[in-house]
Amino acid sequence: MSVSASTAAAAPGALSAHRGLADRLGDRALIGLTWLASAAGMLLIALLVYKVFDQAGASLSRFGLGFVGSRTWNPVSDEFGAGDFVFGTAVSSFAALLIAAPTSIAIALFLTELSPGRIRRPVTTLVELLAAIPSVVLGLWGIIVLAPFVNNTLEPALHSALGWIPLFSGSPSPFGLIPAILILTIMTVPIVASVSREIFQTVPTELKEGALALGCTRWEMVRMVMLPYARPGIVGAVILGLGRALGEAIAVTMVIGDTASIHASLFAPADTLASRVASEYQSATTPLQISSLAYLAAILLVLALLANALARLIVGRSTRRLGASAGGRR
Amino acid sequence: MSVASVPTPPGAPTPPGAPTPRLLAGGPRRRRRKLLNRAMEGTATFAALAAVAVLLIVVGSVLLKGLSAIDLDFFIKGPAPFGQSGGGIANAIVGTCLLVAMASVLALPVGILIGIHTAEFARPSTASAIRFALDILNGVPTIVTGIFVFGLLVAGHVQSGYAGAFALAIIMLPIVARSAHEVLTLIPGSLKEASLALGVTRWRTVLTIVLPSAAGGLITGALLAVARVAGETAPLLFTSSIASTLISTNPSQALASIPVRIFELSESPSPSDHAQAWAAGLLLIFFVLLLNVLARALYGRAQRRMGAS
Amino acid sequence: MINNKMGAVAACAVLASVLAACGSSSPSTSASGSADTLVGAGSTLVAPLVSQWQPEYDKKAKVAVTYGAIGSGGGIEQITARTVDFGASDAPLSESQFKEAKEVVQIPWALAATVIAYHLEGAPNQLKLTGPLLAEIWEGKVTSWNAPAIAALNPGVTLPATKITPIHRSDGSGDTFALTNYLSQISPEWKAKIGKGTEVPFPVGVGAKGNSGVGGAISSTNGSIGYIAIAYVLANKFDYALIKNAAGNYPVPGIPSISAAAKALTTVPPDNELSIVNPPVSAPAAYPISTFTYAIVPLKSPKASTLKPFLKWAITEGQQYGPKLDFAPLPQLVVAADDATIEKIGS
Repeated sequence: MSVSASTAAAAPGALSAHRGLADRLGDRALIGLTWLASAAGMLLIALLVYKVFDQAGASLSRFGLGFVGSRTWNPVSDEFGAGDFVFGTAVSSFAALLIAAPTSIAIALFLTELSPGRIRRPVTTLVELLAAIPSVVLGLWGIIVLAPFVNNTLEPALHSALGWIPLFSGSPSPFGLIPAILILTIMTVPIVASVSREIFQTVPTELKEGALALGCTRWEMVRMVMLPYARPGIVGAVILGLGRALGEAIAVTMVIGDTASIHASLFAPADTLASRVASEYQSATTPLQISSLAYLAAILLVLALLANALARLIVGRSTRRLGASAGGRR
Repeated sequence: MSVASVPTPPGAPTPPGAPTPRLLAGGPRRRRRKLLNRAMEGTATFAALAAVAVLLIVVGSVLLKGLSAIDLDFFIKGPAPFGQSGGGIANAIVGTCLLVAMASVLALPVGILIGIHTAEFARPSTASAIRFALDILNGVPTIVTGIFVFGLLVAGHVQSGYAGAFALAIIMLPIVARSAHEVLTLIPGSLKEASLALGVTRWRTVLTIVLPSAAGGLITGALLAVARVAGETAPLLFTSSIASTLISTNPSQALASIPVRIFELSESPSPSDHAQAWAAGLLLIFFVLLLNVLARALYGRAQRRMGAS
Repeated sequence: MINNKMGAVAACAVLASVLAACGSSSPSTSASGSADTLVGAGSTLVAPLVSQWQPEYDKKAKVAVTYGAIGSGGGIEQITARTVDFGASDAPLSESQFKEAKEVVQIPWALAATVIAYHLEGAPNQLKLTGPLLAEIWEGKVTSWNAPAIAALNPGVTLPATKITPIHRSDGSGDTFALTNYLSQISPEWKAKIGKGTEVPFPVGVGAKGNSGVGGAISSTNGSIGYIAIAYVLANKFDYALIKNAAGNYPVPGIPSISAAAKALTTVPPDNELSIVNPPVSAPAAYPISTFTYAIVPLKSPKASTLKPFLKWAITEGQQYGPKLDFAPLPQLVVAADDATIEKIGS
């Protein structure tokens, strides 16, 4: 007995005595390696932000913060300002979200509450696959299929029905804010819908069943229980979608008409921060113009990072709160 | 004490003589509520159907218009000279494969290592800081990534496949790291503890037990990341766009790529250019959707396995 | 468990081998077996001609020329940054651009024109317009195709009441330079308000990228009018306008009228800058918006030994591929000046 006990007692010690150099160093090496990888990742982000602002340096020092609101973009006189593009970015992204947010919430509700079990998975997958379509293909579809439709059908219809509103005044054009808004909507719906769906799944079933038991219709249950409960998360999801819409360059530049201008009408061509950088960065003629384009990119970076960080904070906080309390169906 | 002032608990039978609670009342009010409910349900269903319809319309357009332009030349020849029809995107296909392969070689190991770090070794506060930073990186618009890599690697030198691959790798990194982290945290702690209890060192545990168990999920993350960057145009616009019309495997020069080629062809007024753009788009969508479906299937299988064990 | 793991490993192996197969093959030779490469970028106006040159020169000299048609502004920017071996621009370099680019020369290596193309359903080809009218169209002052100014120039033609959508280049463009150079010369208001350059602040209209992009915008917008390099007008069979020249004629844009514009040249200045827009009355058959296009090359280049023969070939034998794209042959005195400039390139 004592022999086996002592053997048992000695076993861990014996094992450690047999540990070679590889074993002893292996832990340190792996931990070190992984730590290095994480450090590299963090360094990358810092370097990225630094480099973009560094390239914008000449324009930053020349125009300062007034650049953000200035409406000049004149390569001939070497004066630049981001005003037209901030407007284009703001209008296109917010309008896209105005359409995408309710649509996505409706889709998320359909997937969590209404859809029969059998079609739930396939439809969820299909909606998420919409996000997988490369933006250049969506832009191609936009130029060849959507733009003529907008020019020949949609805008004339909007004009004749709602032409008294300045938004829909002006004459139809295949390229402009409207096709850009539609394409941005198509791109943001899958993101907002899938995050909203996950948020809705965390609503505790007891709350939902309680409302239904009290005689609420399903819509009343959604309105009085689910939406208020999930509201922070939904807001986060929408802001996430906003971040995506802000940063889209390729699909937007293909259909927006690449024109630095501000009009009341949504039919008119315009330009966004991302789209202007994409179309001009390679062909800028003066160093100040190159730097101003980098300044546009820096503004875009700040906006997108703010939206993203805000969204993550809100969604993270709400899912932790919701998930921790009386776990819902997953 | 009036009976009516006491609220009836749910499920309890209504005491006789008590007025019917508003919610349970019948009549026109109830009909209106039911109508509203129907309308809302219809709206939600319609929204979902609309999303599916849009997907089908877009993919359908690409399929219909692209299929007719696909022939053998499409795959084996480079672009035809200006004004001539025919030719193909062979240089872009090879270029995309090479760019994505190089980006994967860069991003997969680093991303998985970061995932191991945050899942296994880092303190919870450090881990969440790193994950937050990676989410930030994920949110950087790809055009800005392109500007960054241009300033870092191209300005003062030349465009190159290396620069393009590096830009793609930056986009892949957060996706790989995040999915690696998620998969690794799903590994049951009991598995790791059993191994450690047997005296196996941490690094051996990770390499020989944790990683193989997580292989399915790691591959899923890799596939999703590859699917994402295969279709990216913006990061390549300034780093690898002035490329040869001949098939090239030389990464020290710019490499052609399918998304950039689609971008170039899409602006042209010529119908044969459009046809080629659709065909290239079809190839791209097919590849991307295939990877996505594969990734989902693998992830589903990995999750079920994790849940079962 | 073993099956799943095997499956995962197998999938991994398949993926890796597919990617590796795509990425293998030696990096030193490209498929054509060419030993040397030249990389250039810039003008979309000359891009059709360069695309004819690429296979021909590869056959002749075993040099693979890569060309990125990113617009003249891009050509200037890329060669300034030396990310390419040569730039191409229809716009000559300004003094500050010469300074930025540090020791480059510009070599006019092709001769073509910027044509005013339009898409107007219900109207015939070759509508007549004048320079001042073009200025007003792009200023946004004339907004309808049946405006009196246009109708007066085209008697007997029923013009629809469609709105005019002027298309301009959103990238730095030599065609923009040619047009705005012309407009600045014939319209003092244009010169004061907008000016000339590869990129100017157009007050109205839709922007498109590259000559292809302008072509795409024109073909998809009824009522649109744009300025586009002549090779693209031919290739896509756009309707184009006849512009009144100084002598009062409306020459059809093509090799005869472009050559007539170039014939007005008597000398080539030392910096090789040649402006042939708005030719004088003494050139009655000249097309008013003709333009040379330049190769921009560093005086000291590591690729000088490959670059010089290519440039020499381009201005001599290469010109034979021009006429079918409506590029006129270079006048002899330009070729002579080019030769002298090319000699100066060294390494």
